[in-house]
Amino acid sequence: MVQFAISRVLWLIPTLLAMALVTFLVMHATPGSPLDPVSEGANPLSPEAQRNLAAHYGLDRPLHEQFVIFLRNAVQGDFGNSFVYRTRTVREILADTFPVSLLLGSMALVLAVAGGLALGILAAVYQNRSWDYVSVTLATAGVAVPNFVLAVFFIILFSFIIPLFPTGGWDSPRNWVLPTITLALAPMGIIARFTRASMLEVIRADYTLTARAKGLAEAPVIFKHALKNALIPIVTLLGPMFAAVGTGSFFVESIYRVPGMGRFFVLSMTGRDYPMIMAVVLTYGAFLAIMNLVVDLAYGALDPRIRL
Amino acid sequence: MALSTRESGSSVEGGLTPPSDASPVGLRGQSPRSEAASAFAGRPTSLWRDAWRRLLRNKLAVAGGVVVILLVLIAVSADFLAPYSYTKTNFGRLNEGPTRAYPFGTDQLGRDMLSRMIYGARVSMLVGLGAQVIVVLIGVPIGALAGWVGGRVDTALTRFIDVMYAFPRLLFVILVMSMLGAGLMNIFIAIGLTGWVGIARQTRAQVLALRQKEFVEGARALGAPSWRLLIRHVLPNALSPIVVAVTFGIPEAIFTEAALSFIGVGINPPTPSWGQMVGEGQQYLRSAWHLCVVPSIAIAITMLSFTFLGDGVRDALDPRLK
Amino acid sequence: MKPVRIDDTQMDLLATRLAAIGVGRRDFLRLAAGLAALGTTGFNATRAAAAPKLGAGEKLAKEQHLRFGGGSWYDQDPASHDFNKDLYCGGTPQLWAGLMKFDANFEAVPDVASKVTPNADGSVWTFVIRKDAKWSDGTPFTARDFEWSWKRQLDPATAAPYASFLYDIKNGEAFNKKQLGDASQVGVRAKDDSTLEVTLEGPRGYFPVLSAYQAALPAHRPSVEKHGDKWTEAANIVSNGPFVLEAWEHNKVIVLRKNKHFFGAKDIPLEKVTIPIIPIASGVLPYENNEIDLSRLQTADLKRFQSDPRLAKEAFRFPYPGTWYLLPQVTKPPFDNLKVRRAVAHALDRENIVRVSQGFALPAHSMIPPGFPGALDDAKIRNIQKFDPKLAMQQLKGTPYEGGRNWPKISLSLRDEALGSKPLAEAVQATLLEHLNMKTELEVLEARVFRERLWKQEFQFVWIRWFMDYPDPHNEYFDTFYGKKTTGKRQAWTNDAFDKELEAGRDTRDTKKRMAHYAKAEEIMQSDVGYVPVAWVVRYAVAKPTVRGIEKNRQGEFVVDGNIYTDMLRHIHMIEKA
Repeated sequence: MVQFAISRVLWLIPTLLAMALVTFLVMHATPGSPLDPVSEGANPLSPEAQRNLAAHYGLDRPLHEQFVIFLRNAVQGDFGNSFVYRTRTVREILADTFPVSLLLGSMALVLAVAGGLALGILAAVYQNRSWDYVSVTLATAGVAVPNFVLAVFFIILFSFIIPLFPTGGWDSPRNWVLPTITLALAPMGIIARFTRASMLEVIRADYTLTARAKGLAEAPVIFKHALKNALIPIVTLLGPMFAAVGTGSFFVESIYRVPGMGRFFVLSMTGRDYPMIMAVVLTYGAFLAIMNLVVDLAYGALDPRIRL
Repeated sequence: MALSTRESGSSVEGGLTPPSDASPVGLRGQSPRSEAASAFAGRPTSLWRDAWRRLLRNKLAVAGGVVVILLVLIAVSADFLAPYSYTKTNFGRLNEGPTRAYPFGTDQLGRDMLSRMIYGARVSMLVGLGAQVIVVLIGVPIGALAGWVGGRVDTALTRFIDVMYAFPRLLFVILVMSMLGAGLMNIFIAIGLTGWVGIARQTRAQVLALRQKEFVEGARALGAPSWRLLIRHVLPNALSPIVVAVTFGIPEAIFTEAALSFIGVGINPPTPSWGQMVGEGQQYLRSAWHLCVVPSIAIAITMLSFTFLGDGVRDALDPRLK
Repeated sequence: MKPVRIDDTQMDLLATRLAAIGVGRRDFLRLAAGLAALGTTGFNATRAAAAPKLGAGEKLAKEQHLRFGGGSWYDQDPASHDFNKDLYCGGTPQLWAGLMKFDANFEAVPDVASKVTPNADGSVWTFVIRKDAKWSDGTPFTARDFEWSWKRQLDPATAAPYASFLYDIKNGEAFNKKQLGDASQVGVRAKDDSTLEVTLEGPRGYFPVLSAYQAALPAHRPSVEKHGDKWTEAANIVSNGPFVLEAWEHNKVIVLRKNKHFFGAKDIPLEKVTIPIIPIASGVLPYENNEIDLSRLQTADLKRFQSDPRLAKEAFRFPYPGTWYLLPQVTKPPFDNLKVRRAVAHALDRENIVRVSQGFALPAHSMIPPGFPGALDDAKIRNIQKFDPKLAMQQLKGTPYEGGRNWPKISLSLRDEALGSKPLAEAVQATLLEHLNMKTELEVLEARVFRERLWKQEFQFVWIRWFMDYPDPHNEYFDTFYGKKTTGKRQAWTNDAFDKELEAGRDTRDTKKRMAHYAKAEEIMQSDVGYVPVAWVVRYAVAKPTVRGIEKNRQGEFVVDGNIYTDMLRHIHMIEKA
């Protein structure tokens, strides 16, 4: 197991490197330059100004040099100043925004797991009866409707029609409710569906039959035996889901004005904010990889049949 | 052995579909009881016929399938079905609610929503299927190659797959779309380029497992050349997870296109795409809610149907759930 | 004081100056309104006191706290508040006070300067700084602060992108381009604590107007030297304007408090201003939810507001002069054929098209919107490109596209922006399809990509929204369409007769004669279909009934903060709810 962990951690490095390279290339291949004036209708900068700015940002050097410089600095944690928020370093911005996305994501995930498990178990236990259909439909609906649509619906519903919550912001826990629910619905759906499938498998498995045959009542059968085994594969879901949810969904953060990292990504795309783009992609990727590793280790620890 | 229960033909951001739990054979072996039972099954049935029958018994899947077929029909016959052209504007009747003349109302340019929805179905189907075509075209060969050839090629390809898997998917699609610019073809390419990883993994796992099976050995003993073996014998049997992945991939592609259009890097007007209509209609939610709600419902129904169908297909093809 | 003559060469220079610094076209619209008035009042008009005028039964609210934002006001976190170094920092100009400022009629009036004196030909300007001008930490504000700030902007080491704004200052350009190493040779000098002497490259009658613009705002030297790039953070910043930065939570909110050391503080009713950062996607929801008191409106919401009796009272129009027009590229088929271009012009049903904008556009038949100098209301001009679908089709006779057939692939390119541009473009598409059977594909591009390709004239057919820089026809015609420009040309079309009229307009003194030249220029351009005017821009904002004191201009329209006029906060006062 330790060997597995170590080899995975080591593999993180070339993976991140490859990610950096691909992102770098795609970024520079995208038309439009960060040197363009920011405001609408403005005339292009004079050639001197452009030259000065390019030198200032290091954009006048050949691509491979830029990449090497970027790597060298990135390894030390220095991603430079954002091109859009010119007085702040990328690291600062991420330090401010990443925890927010993390908080939102964690809350959403907790809600998703709790809700998803509940729905999934209900569906499995009452398979093919009404609870099953209700659960499955709810779960699938959560997956099917895009979260930016849901966000706007919720705002209209819970800010205007039933004025319970503010339309956005992140100051008090009241602000947290709507974004969390919106973000949690889709993962909840997935977890519910997966739980259901997993539970069904387990319920039909022999050892459950055995437990029942031994005369155990239904509840302990479900909760002690079936659930434990059903949960194990669900752990594998958590890794990628945590990453996705944890680094913030752009739409949810945008519409609810949550000052998180996901919102920055598309903003940095339009602003051609190269340092920011690189940093967001790498942070996201590293986070994903680490969470996957944690989840794999957990899975290995939980399921005795798996030998790492 | 690499943990592969997490494999999926889909990522988990945005439009999320569950990973197929078609784990490589061997992780959860069949219980002796069911194996014996199938030995006594009697009438010879192929996997596909069996699967078909099981599928038909699943009510939700059938409902989903019917809707999908309906959607395809609508998409194909859009030119006949739509009462107006999707570009015909009427500036005197902007943002109107449903009326007799315009059953779904009109949009911000006075265009008929019903017609735009019908043509939008075509675009959505195109996006869903087109993207999956590219995904399959890239993912299956890579996965099959890795699984079949094995050795260093396999290791290299698997590493490559792992690295690509680590990419945050939606971010990458947005990146690629920014580079390519808006347009239908570009969406295929962007989604295809970022989505082939799951299918590659599945294919590889299946091929790996099947490679050791007796029927392959038998065919080899009979002198079949390697390539033919792979294509004629192994791959067809490896199809089931691919089919499942494709079925789940379609709604995900539709969702991704909606998300891209919402941000503004998706499809350009006047071509109607449901996602684009949702994005544009979002600002009118308080004054002309049908602009946003109708295509949202359409997206939801489409995704639901494909998902139910996918569920059904996966359950039907799963040999363990007899 | 005898006012300085501002000839048209200087107007041209002003135009170049403004264009070169990439000032948003829209920004300078207001700028030289003052230039016309300069002749009579000079630069020493006294500011009217801003004591709040209360209506009948109105009482000043106990808490003078305004919350505003939304609708593209602060839709993104500012990069900084350092206008001196970074003109487009997106920060809060009310933190600063320049030598001059713009009033609601967009005329330059003194702010920190108490007296403005030119020499005989306007090549040397002397500004006397008010004795009671102070920084927000209580220290006195002196002429040296301006000297240092402007030299900082021109210093090549600062790498200020728009330093060219100050190139009128003697040796400013040379210094900025590193041709001159010695900052002391640059023509801005503080003779003593309260006298700033600016020596220019030549007669520049408009210079004080430049000094009113945001690009001339000062910076606080000790803060810059102590904190570097971070000197505009709330904890560090020292400013000289009517408000101070009390708090700045990045991406969340900006909080301003009245600067008690400001020389005009007693005339300013507001004590506190809260500006939440609201992305455009949030629309007007925060306003409706009573989270803010003042916001700008977007297309989707206007009709709804106007049909609600309560909300209708809260919405108001404000001037934002601009024009939407089409550019058929004369170097690319099918628009290389004049008849095709004429067909396009006649096929546009402008009245119908603007309905799509639901109140945010008016049909346009020429470049300058009504109410501004040079606006044309001439039946002859209206006729040149009037809507006539039969005539449109007729024009196609004899071309390869007769009868509306055989059109090649046509891309209508436009910039991706909110605020109604796309629906109008789609309406244009629909109209062209209907009347000419011309199918076009909309190509929506990101701002940067769009601009890059626009200047290279790569586009075949362009949909542009253009904003007036300053109210003089020289801006609309010369700056935008002059054929002999070397950079910043949006279109390949040129016409010698047109250019001649523009040059004549620039060089003539007599106002009437000037206008006649520009009218002729418009006629030429429309007949040759160098462009196709489609619509004029209209803008709306919303304010809660408790918000009062928004200034009105001479035409009786409300004026809110933009890039030129930034004085709104000094005049607003809040009243008790009825």
